[in-house]
Amino acid sequence: MLKFFSSTNIYLLIHKLIKFINSIFFLILLIGLTFALVLSPPDYLQGDAVRIMYVHVPSAWIGLACFSVITFLSVLNFIFKIKNFYFINKSIAPIGLLFTCLAIVTGSLWGQPTWGTWWAWDARLTSMVVLMFFYIFYILTFKLLNKEELIVKVSSIIAIIGSINLPIIKYSVEWWATLHQPASIKIIGSSSIHKEMLLPLMVMLLVFLLYAALIFLMKYKTEIIRIKKKNIKR
Amino acid sequence: MILNLITMNGYGLYVWLSFSVVFISCAVVYFKTKKTLKKYEQEFLAELQALTLEEKTKTLETSKVAQQILATSSKAN
Repeated sequence: MLKFFSSTNIYLLIHKLIKFINSIFFLILLIGLTFALVLSPPDYLQGDAVRIMYVHVPSAWIGLACFSVITFLSVLNFIFKIKNFYFINKSIAPIGLLFTCLAIVTGSLWGQPTWGTWWAWDARLTSMVVLMFFYIFYILTFKLLNKEELIVKVSSIIAIIGSINLPIIKYSVEWWATLHQPASIKIIGSSSIHKEMLLPLMVMLLVFLLYAALIFLMKYKTEIIRIKKKNIKR
Repeated sequence: MILNLITMNGYGLYVWLSFSVVFISCAVVYFKTKKTLKKYEQEFLAELQALTLEEKTKTLETSKVAQQILATSSKAN
Protein backbone atom coordinates (compact mmCIF):
# COMPACT_ATOMS: atom_id res chain seq x y z
CA MET A 1 0.00 0.00 0.00
CA LEU A 2 2.79 2.41 0.99
CA LYS A 3 4.59 1.58 -2.26
CA PHE A 4 1.67 3.13 -4.14
CA PHE A 5 2.52 6.51 -2.58
CA SER A 6 6.07 6.54 -3.96
CA SER A 7 6.91 9.67 -5.96
CA THR A 8 7.15 7.56 -9.13
CA ASN A 9 3.62 6.19 -8.81
CA ILE A 10 2.29 9.61 -7.79
CA TYR A 11 4.02 11.13 -10.84
CA LEU A 12 2.39 8.62 -13.18
CA LEU A 13 -1.01 9.16 -11.55
CA ILE A 14 -0.62 12.96 -11.84
CA HIS A 15 0.15 12.58 -15.54
CA LYS A 16 -3.10 10.64 -16.07
CA LEU A 17 -5.15 13.02 -13.90
CA ILE A 18 -3.91 16.10 -15.80
CA LYS A 19 -4.92 14.44 -19.07
CA PHE A 20 -8.34 13.55 -17.66
CA ILE A 21 -9.04 17.07 -16.31
CA ASN A 22 -7.89 18.63 -19.59
CA SER A 23 -10.32 16.40 -21.49
CA ILE A 24 -13.44 17.35 -19.51
CA PHE A 25 -12.62 20.89 -18.33
CA PHE A 26 -13.84 22.95 -21.29
CA LEU A 27 -17.12 21.07 -21.57
CA ILE A 28 -17.95 21.69 -17.89
CA LEU A 29 -16.77 25.31 -18.20
CA LEU A 30 -19.11 25.82 -21.15
CA ILE A 31 -22.05 24.33 -19.23
CA GLY A 32 -21.20 26.44 -16.16
CA LEU A 33 -20.95 29.68 -18.15
CA THR A 34 -24.22 28.98 -19.99
CA PHE A 35 -26.00 28.46 -16.69
CA ALA A 36 -24.32 31.41 -14.95
CA LEU A 37 -24.68 34.00 -17.71
CA VAL A 38 -27.80 32.92 -19.63
CA LEU A 39 -30.05 30.34 -17.97
CA SER A 40 -30.02 31.38 -14.29
CA PRO A 41 -32.66 33.97 -13.35
CA PRO A 42 -31.81 37.51 -12.17
CA ASP A 43 -32.28 38.24 -8.47
CA TYR A 44 -35.50 40.05 -7.46
CA LEU A 45 -33.45 42.71 -5.63
CA GLN A 46 -30.00 42.73 -7.22
CA GLY A 47 -31.07 42.01 -10.80
CA ASP A 48 -28.35 40.65 -13.09
CA ALA A 49 -25.57 41.83 -10.73
CA VAL A 50 -26.21 38.59 -8.82
CA ARG A 51 -24.39 36.70 -11.62
CA ILE A 52 -21.11 37.90 -10.09
CA MET A 53 -21.92 35.42 -7.31
CA TYR A 54 -21.05 32.53 -9.67
CA VAL A 55 -17.40 33.57 -9.72
CA HIS A 56 -17.17 35.33 -6.34
CA VAL A 57 -18.51 32.59 -4.06
CA PRO A 58 -16.51 29.64 -5.49
CA SER A 59 -13.35 31.80 -5.37
CA ALA A 60 -13.92 32.63 -1.70
CA TRP A 61 -14.71 29.00 -0.82
CA ILE A 62 -11.58 27.69 -2.53
CA GLY A 63 -9.47 30.44 -0.94
CA LEU A 64 -10.69 29.33 2.49
CA ALA A 65 -10.48 25.61 1.71
CA CYS A 66 -6.87 25.87 0.53
CA PHE A 67 -5.80 27.57 3.77
CA SER A 68 -7.67 24.96 5.84
CA VAL A 69 -5.83 22.16 4.00
CA ILE A 70 -2.50 23.99 4.41
CA THR A 71 -3.11 24.36 8.16
CA PHE A 72 -4.11 20.70 8.57
CA LEU A 73 -1.09 19.41 6.63
CA SER A 74 1.23 21.88 8.41
CA VAL A 75 0.15 20.51 11.79
CA LEU A 76 0.68 16.93 10.57
CA ASN A 77 4.04 17.83 9.04
CA PHE A 78 5.07 19.62 12.23
CA ILE A 79 4.34 16.46 14.27
CA PHE A 80 5.17 13.58 11.91
CA LYS A 81 7.72 15.27 9.59
CA ILE A 82 6.19 13.96 6.38
CA LYS A 83 8.15 15.62 3.59
CA ASN A 84 5.41 15.14 0.99
CA PHE A 85 3.11 17.51 2.90
CA TYR A 86 5.71 20.24 2.54
CA PHE A 87 5.56 19.92 -1.26
CA ILE A 88 1.77 19.67 -1.26
CA ASN A 89 1.49 22.88 0.80
CA LYS A 90 4.01 24.64 -1.42
CA SER A 91 1.87 23.73 -4.44
CA ILE A 92 -1.49 24.67 -2.85
CA ALA A 93 -0.54 28.10 -1.43
CA PRO A 94 -0.37 30.02 -4.76
CA ILE A 95 -3.79 28.62 -5.73
CA GLY A 96 -5.25 29.80 -2.42
CA LEU A 97 -3.72 33.24 -2.89
CA LEU A 98 -5.09 33.51 -6.43
CA PHE A 99 -8.64 32.64 -5.39
CA THR A 100 -8.55 34.85 -2.27
CA CYS A 101 -7.48 37.81 -4.44
CA LEU A 102 -10.19 36.97 -6.98
CA ALA A 103 -12.81 36.81 -4.22
CA ILE A 104 -11.74 40.26 -3.00
CA VAL A 105 -11.71 41.82 -6.50
CA THR A 106 -15.01 40.27 -7.64
CA GLY A 107 -16.54 41.15 -4.26
CA SER A 108 -15.53 44.75 -4.85
CA LEU A 109 -17.06 44.65 -8.35
CA TRP A 110 -20.25 43.24 -6.83
CA GLY A 111 -20.24 45.79 -4.00
CA GLN A 112 -20.32 48.84 -6.26
CA PRO A 113 -23.74 48.16 -7.90
CA THR A 114 -25.33 46.62 -4.78
CA TRP A 115 -23.89 48.59 -1.84
CA GLY A 116 -22.87 51.71 -3.76
CA THR A 117 -19.22 51.38 -2.79
CA TRP A 118 -16.18 49.46 -4.06
CA TRP A 119 -14.83 48.90 -0.57
CA ALA A 120 -15.79 49.12 3.11
CA TRP A 121 -13.77 48.15 6.17
CA ASP A 122 -16.43 45.61 6.95
CA ALA A 123 -15.53 42.54 9.10
CA ARG A 124 -15.90 40.00 6.28
CA LEU A 125 -13.95 42.05 3.75
CA THR A 126 -11.20 42.94 6.21
CA SER A 127 -10.80 39.34 7.39
CA MET A 128 -10.44 38.23 3.76
CA VAL A 129 -7.68 40.81 3.26
CA VAL A 130 -5.99 39.43 6.41
CA LEU A 131 -6.20 35.93 4.85
CA MET A 132 -4.58 37.29 1.68
CA PHE A 133 -1.66 38.65 3.76
CA PHE A 134 -1.26 35.29 5.53
CA TYR A 135 -1.01 33.64 2.09
CA ILE A 136 1.61 36.20 1.02
CA PHE A 137 3.68 35.66 4.19
CA TYR A 138 3.33 31.89 3.79
CA ILE A 139 4.55 31.95 0.17
CA LEU A 140 7.35 34.38 1.06
CA THR A 141 8.83 31.83 3.51
CA PHE A 142 9.46 29.49 0.55
CA LYS A 143 10.99 32.30 -1.50
CA LEU A 144 13.10 33.99 1.18
CA LEU A 145 14.34 31.16 3.42
CA ASN A 146 16.88 28.58 2.27
CA LYS A 147 16.91 25.79 4.85
CA GLU A 148 14.03 23.35 4.44
CA GLU A 149 13.73 22.70 8.19
CA LEU A 150 13.42 26.41 8.89
CA ILE A 151 10.88 26.83 6.08
CA VAL A 152 8.75 24.03 7.55
CA LYS A 153 8.85 25.60 11.02
CA VAL A 154 8.15 29.20 9.94
CA SER A 155 5.49 28.29 7.36
CA SER A 156 3.73 25.96 9.85
CA ILE A 157 3.64 28.73 12.46
CA ILE A 158 2.20 31.17 9.89
CA ALA A 159 -0.42 28.59 8.85
CA ILE A 160 -1.43 27.82 12.45
CA ILE A 161 -1.70 31.51 13.42
CA GLY A 162 -3.52 32.23 10.15
CA SER A 163 -6.04 29.47 10.85
CA ILE A 164 -7.42 31.58 13.73
CA ASN A 165 -8.69 33.91 11.01
CA LEU A 166 -10.74 31.17 9.29
CA PRO A 167 -13.63 31.01 11.82
CA ILE A 168 -13.50 34.82 12.00
CA ILE A 169 -14.13 34.97 8.22
CA LYS A 170 -16.91 32.38 8.45
CA TYR A 171 -18.77 33.94 11.40
CA SER A 172 -17.91 37.63 10.83
CA VAL A 173 -21.32 38.18 9.21
CA GLU A 174 -23.05 36.82 12.34
CA TRP A 175 -20.79 38.31 15.03
CA TRP A 176 -20.75 41.86 13.66
CA ALA A 177 -23.17 44.10 11.78
CA THR A 178 -21.70 43.94 8.28
CA LEU A 179 -22.51 45.19 4.80
CA HIS A 180 -21.84 41.66 3.59
CA GLN A 181 -24.94 39.47 3.61
CA PRO A 182 -25.14 36.38 5.89
CA ALA A 183 -24.52 32.93 4.39
CA SER A 184 -27.27 31.81 1.99
CA ILE A 185 -25.95 28.25 1.71
CA LYS A 186 -25.70 26.10 4.81
CA ILE A 187 -24.37 22.55 5.10
CA ILE A 188 -26.47 22.03 8.22
CA GLY A 189 -29.95 23.52 8.04
CA SER A 190 -31.93 24.91 5.12
CA SER A 191 -30.33 27.17 2.53
CA SER A 192 -32.12 30.35 1.49
CA ILE A 193 -30.86 30.23 -2.11
CA HIS A 194 -33.25 29.02 -4.83
CA LYS A 195 -32.28 25.80 -6.63
CA GLU A 196 -32.26 27.65 -9.98
CA MET A 197 -29.31 29.64 -8.63
CA LEU A 198 -27.82 26.83 -6.54
CA LEU A 199 -27.33 24.54 -9.57
CA PRO A 200 -25.24 27.04 -11.62
CA LEU A 201 -23.28 27.87 -8.47
CA MET A 202 -22.43 24.20 -7.94
CA VAL A 203 -21.43 23.76 -11.60
CA MET A 204 -19.18 26.83 -11.39
CA LEU A 205 -17.74 25.47 -8.13
CA LEU A 206 -16.90 22.24 -9.96
CA VAL A 207 -15.22 24.25 -12.74
CA PHE A 208 -13.12 26.16 -10.20
CA LEU A 209 -12.26 22.97 -8.31
CA LEU A 210 -11.12 21.27 -11.51
CA TYR A 211 -9.01 24.30 -12.37
CA ALA A 212 -7.50 24.36 -8.86
CA ALA A 213 -6.77 20.62 -9.09
CA LEU A 214 -5.13 21.10 -12.49
CA ILE A 215 -2.83 23.86 -11.25
CA PHE A 216 -2.04 21.88 -8.09
CA LEU A 217 -1.13 18.77 -10.09
CA MET A 218 1.09 20.76 -12.46
CA LYS A 219 2.87 22.46 -9.56
CA TYR A 220 3.26 19.19 -7.68
CA LYS A 221 4.62 17.51 -10.82
CA THR A 222 7.16 20.36 -11.09
CA GLU A 223 8.23 19.69 -7.49
CA ILE A 224 8.73 15.96 -8.19
CA ILE A 225 10.85 16.75 -11.27
CA ARG A 226 12.88 19.21 -9.21
CA ILE A 227 13.64 16.50 -6.62
CA LYS A 228 14.42 13.90 -9.29
CA LYS A 229 16.71 16.41 -11.02
CA LYS A 230 18.63 16.95 -7.79
CA ASN A 231 19.09 13.19 -7.34
CA ILE A 232 19.81 12.30 -10.95
CA LYS A 233 23.51 11.62 -10.37
CA ARG A 234 23.15 10.03 -6.96
CA MET B 1 -31.54 38.57 -26.41
CA ILE B 2 -27.86 39.21 -27.32
CA LEU B 3 -28.10 42.89 -26.37
CA ASN B 4 -29.67 41.84 -23.09
CA LEU B 5 -26.81 39.41 -22.49
CA ILE B 6 -24.26 42.16 -23.11
CA THR B 7 -25.92 44.93 -21.10
CA MET B 8 -27.29 42.68 -18.31
CA ASN B 9 -29.94 45.33 -17.64
CA GLY B 10 -27.34 47.92 -16.74
CA TYR B 11 -25.03 45.61 -14.75
CA GLY B 12 -23.07 44.38 -17.80
CA LEU B 13 -19.90 46.32 -16.93
CA TYR B 14 -19.66 44.78 -13.45
CA VAL B 15 -20.67 41.24 -14.48
CA TRP B 16 -18.44 41.03 -17.56
CA LEU B 17 -15.54 42.70 -15.77
CA SER B 18 -15.79 40.17 -12.90
CA PHE B 19 -15.85 37.18 -15.27
CA SER B 20 -13.02 38.68 -17.36
CA VAL B 21 -10.80 39.34 -14.34
CA VAL B 22 -11.32 35.76 -13.13
CA PHE B 23 -10.71 34.10 -16.49
CA ILE B 24 -7.73 36.26 -17.49
CA SER B 25 -6.06 35.73 -14.07
CA CYS B 26 -6.70 31.98 -14.23
CA ALA B 27 -5.36 31.79 -17.80
CA VAL B 28 -2.19 33.72 -16.84
CA VAL B 29 -1.57 31.42 -13.85
CA TYR B 30 -2.26 28.33 -15.99
CA PHE B 31 0.21 29.32 -18.74
CA LYS B 32 2.84 30.44 -16.22
CA THR B 33 2.57 27.12 -14.34
CA LYS B 34 2.72 25.16 -17.60
CA LYS B 35 5.79 27.14 -18.72
CA THR B 36 7.58 26.43 -15.41
CA LEU B 37 6.74 22.71 -15.69
CA LYS B 38 8.09 22.58 -19.25
CA LYS B 39 11.23 24.45 -18.14
CA TYR B 40 11.93 21.89 -15.41
CA GLU B 41 11.23 19.00 -17.79
CA GLN B 42 13.72 20.48 -20.29
CA GLU B 43 16.32 21.03 -17.56
CA PHE B 44 15.84 17.44 -16.38
CA LEU B 45 16.28 16.16 -19.94
CA ALA B 46 19.39 18.30 -20.40
CA GLU B 47 20.89 16.78 -17.24
CA LEU B 48 19.94 13.33 -18.48
CA GLN B 49 21.61 13.95 -21.85
CA ALA B 50 24.75 15.15 -20.08
CA LEU B 51 25.18 11.77 -18.38
CA THR B 52 27.43 9.07 -19.82
CA LEU B 53 25.67 6.34 -21.79
CA GLU B 54 26.07 3.92 -18.91
CA GLU B 55 24.68 6.37 -16.34
CA LYS B 56 21.84 7.32 -18.68
CA THR B 57 20.84 3.69 -19.25
CA LYS B 58 20.98 3.01 -15.52
CA THR B 59 18.85 6.10 -14.73
CA LEU B 60 16.28 5.21 -17.37
CA GLU B 61 16.11 1.63 -16.13
CA THR B 62 15.55 2.64 -12.52
CA SER B 63 13.49 5.82 -12.86
CA LYS B 64 9.99 5.63 -14.29
CA VAL B 65 9.77 9.42 -13.93
CA ALA B 66 12.78 9.83 -16.25
CA GLN B 67 11.18 7.41 -18.73
CA GLN B 68 7.92 9.34 -18.60
CA ILE B 69 9.57 12.74 -19.12
CA LEU B 70 11.59 11.37 -22.01
CA ALA B 71 8.48 9.82 -23.56
CA THR B 72 6.45 13.06 -23.17
CA SER B 73 9.25 15.12 -24.66
CA SER B 74 9.60 12.71 -27.63
CA LYS B 75 5.87 12.94 -28.26
CA ALA B 76 5.97 16.75 -28.11
CA ASN B 77 8.87 16.85 -30.59
